[in-house]
Amino acid sequence: MNAPAATSSAGASPDESTAQSRRSVDVLIAEDSRIQAKMLERSLLTAGHTVRWAINGAEALSMVRERRPAIIVSDIEMPEMTGYELCSAIKKDPALRTIPLILLSTLADPLDIIRGLDAGADNYVTKPYEATYLLARMDALLDTPLDASDDAGGVVLEVGLAGQKFRVKAGRQQVLNLLVSTFENAVTKNKELIVTNQALSVAKDQLQHTNTELTQLNEKIEHSNKRMVRDLKAAAKVQQSLLPALAITIPSATVAWRYVPCQELAGDFLNVFSLDSEHVGLFVVDVSGHGVPSSLLAVTIGAFLSSKVSDSSLLVRPGKEGGPPVVVGPAEVATQLNRLFQADEQAGLYFTFIYGVLHTPTGHLRFVSGGHPPLAHMSREGRIQLIECESFPIGYVPDIEYEEHLLELKPGDRIYLYSDGVPEAMNEALDQMGNERMTATIEAARSQSLETGVVALLDAVQAWCQPKGPLDDVSILGIEWTG
Amino acid sequence: MTADLYRKIEVSKNDVVNIATFKDSKILDEGALDELNVELVRLINDRAGIELLLDFHNVEFMSSAMLGLLGKIHRKVGGLKGKLKMCSIRPQIYEVFKLTNLNKLFSIHKDEAEALAAFAK
Repeated sequence: MNAPAATSSAGASPDESTAQSRRSVDVLIAEDSRIQAKMLERSLLTAGHTVRWAINGAEALSMVRERRPAIIVSDIEMPEMTGYELCSAIKKDPALRTIPLILLSTLADPLDIIRGLDAGADNYVTKPYEATYLLARMDALLDTPLDASDDAGGVVLEVGLAGQKFRVKAGRQQVLNLLVSTFENAVTKNKELIVTNQALSVAKDQLQHTNTELTQLNEKIEHSNKRMVRDLKAAAKVQQSLLPALAITIPSATVAWRYVPCQELAGDFLNVFSLDSEHVGLFVVDVSGHGVPSSLLAVTIGAFLSSKVSDSSLLVRPGKEGGPPVVVGPAEVATQLNRLFQADEQAGLYFTFIYGVLHTPTGHLRFVSGGHPPLAHMSREGRIQLIECESFPIGYVPDIEYEEHLLELKPGDRIYLYSDGVPEAMNEALDQMGNERMTATIEAARSQSLETGVVALLDAVQAWCQPKGPLDDVSILGIEWTG
Repeated sequence: MTADLYRKIEVSKNDVVNIATFKDSKILDEGALDELNVELVRLINDRAGIELLLDFHNVEFMSSAMLGLLGKIHRKVGGLKGKLKMCSIRPQIYEVFKLTNLNKLFSIHKDEAEALAAFAK
């Protein structure tokens, strides 16, 4: 570079130049963006220059004619008159052509260089740029003033770029300046590219690392998930194994039941069994909520409601002094259960419950309800009656006595016990199936077998809940006294 | 401050009666119940003799598990020798109470005014 010997700060690297320029000159900015103009103006003022600002090429030209600046810094894309047009106008004017002009290019297109050259630009700086870099370029241009006689009129050069041939008119000094600035620009951009590349390389490593971690985490989650699904399925199997046999036989009665949990594990539970040679016990339990806690409680309750004669069974007590076992009355069973399972001790879980004891020789059904939906009684002729019992759910109110109800069945009468998943089955609009649809479905199957009737009721519930299926556990237990 | 403490209920006070209005129209999932439980227990705050009114006027659907929570609140307030009342329960929600007979256990009133009058008695 033609740096004067007196200026020690003019090193080869523009990065090292300070914001303070070596001279104070009059700079004209042509820039249509107010923000960019202000930023540039601030850098130039800080460097000690005086600044004028034109909003486009046309305004810049008239300001140049009004007072000649030492240097022009011009944007390219501007309304009314572009940077190229401004440059051409300056360079064609013999009185102005020696004013150095720097074009601020986004360099979106390599042809910008040729266009700049053709327009007679002395230099260009690509956006975004560091203020120090622009100041260094300005200094370099001011150090090598264009000779008014330098190739006046210019020579015509033929240049090939991007497969196109251009005939460019340019002065020797101008070509030299542009060549140097292009090279410097390339060096700067290259440095930036190297830094960016390094950053990219680091980011890539981090990404790979994160990716590996994510994959491992995913595998862990999948593993735990599989284990949980396996555990749930095993627990569901245990729960289902406690259900009665589907083809259960009971003297003087036929039995049919269906039990469909809405998740793996149910809060519902049902059972039917012989208590002794003359008594059959049957119940449906519905623990509030679903999932593991509810189903554990349901299974526990099921264990207490066992027909095995033992001190822990609430249903059958060993006879006194070696006598025959005693069937406990349903009301006492409910009262005992309520004592054993207070909700506060069961994580807030309570349950509804209906328990009946059928005396098979007479068809007398003694039963108790703890806040459970009504028992459905259908006579041989098909008349249906829902028998409601006023009582609280089990575990809800401490130390209350439950009341026993008696139903005298006639041969061929059927009764249905069910969980609220039947009448309260909800469709997508959250409408409930309701008691009327339920009883109509039970009645419609009167002439068919009890098994068919129970299956028809389950089908009706599942059809009602289409397309998503039941949100609640569904239990249905039917018994017909044959007499 | 209260906005952080209570998301599921809106809390106000009339003289001595604390009014908790359920904000959601559907109280169905367990997560919502857990949150309600925490917020109601926080409101009761073991205050002896607390008078609490639960306003259901926003509630359109409610799972029966909600009854478990109400029972717990009922026992908690009872244990503190306080008073618990409920009001503005829509007919379809009232059915859930009736089905389990809990309409007889709880003190249920037509609207807030009637419930507040009953507290004053």
